[in-house]
Amino acid sequence: MPEELNDAELVAAYKAGDAGALGTLMERHKAAVYGYLLRLTGRTDAAEDLFQEVFLKLVKNPGAYNEREKFKAWLFTVARNAAMDLFRRESSRGEVSLYGDGDKPGPADFAASAEPGPAEAFYGKALGERIDAALASLSEDQREVFYLRHYSELSFKEIAEMLKVPIGTVLARMSRAAAQLRKKLEGEAQ
Amino acid sequence: MNCEYGEKLILYRYGEAGPRLAAEVEAHLAGCPACRSELAALSAAGARLSAAVPGPSDETVFNIMRAARAAVSARSGFSFKWGEALLSGALASAMAFVFAFSGTRASADLAWNSGLDSKLDSVEYSVYQAQSDLASATGDWEYGLSALEDESLDFSKSV
Repeated sequence: MPEELNDAELVAAYKAGDAGALGTLMERHKAAVYGYLLRLTGRTDAAEDLFQEVFLKLVKNPGAYNEREKFKAWLFTVARNAAMDLFRRESSRGEVSLYGDGDKPGPADFAASAEPGPAEAFYGKALGERIDAALASLSEDQREVFYLRHYSELSFKEIAEMLKVPIGTVLARMSRAAAQLRKKLEGEAQ
Repeated sequence: MNCEYGEKLILYRYGEAGPRLAAEVEAHLAGCPACRSELAALSAAGARLSAAVPGPSDETVFNIMRAARAAVSARSGFSFKWGEALLSGALASAMAFVFAFSGTRASADLAWNSGLDSKLDSVEYSVYQAQSDLASATGDWEYGLSALEDESLDFSKSV
């Protein structure tokens, strides 16, 4: 059964002619990839386009994925690159910046969820907005690592390899992000 | 926060600390309200990111699956042509093999290769000539008969 296959086996099955294997693969990762892209772009239309672009890359050229590497790392690398390309295109056209400009938040700062999460349900909607504001206050590097770790669930070592930076850099960014989130949430609460 | 537990706290929060480090961080957390606050902030932000999102639209998923089916079809078409080419080659080789071997065995018995055909041609020609002579000699029986007898002699020689 395709559901029992791991990611690499599903890609191999798709390469061998099983289109359903790609459907299983997409079903398995769509929430994380779409959530990540929605958070990055802050726009459903952009997230939809990028999501399609990411999976069409696999559809058209499954050989682009090397079976020796972790599929999720490959998938999020493709997703991140696609988002960065979009950001560069929009930036060169003088459109809005992905991460805002100075103190002004960008699209990534307004990725509102359709339904309240556990924390929001507990603390009320106001907390969700405060958390969004706190996330918006993170630097681009901090936010990138924070989102990647959350949505991809890759280890910090894998994220470091993806971003081509030392693992210490990734941990330092996360640590500074945590300090900033705490500062913002405590400050807002007072 | 100046407790130098920032990165250790991150590893602990995301389950990447080994048992010893995890125990060390837990001991530290008991006496560090700042680190406890950071953990709480990370948890709250994580929960916010985990909030249910609608996911890609059905149309997007449909478009991707349609492209996947088309790509698979195109790839199978390509393979089939290769299979077809291989099959054609194998059949051609088999036919050449059969033709070559059956030709060698049968060549000695074939009419055109045994000389039988040329002999039959001679017989046929002689009969035709005899009939022709007989027809032309109907006005002169004596001559015709003797001539026919002569031809018969020639005929027997030619066979």
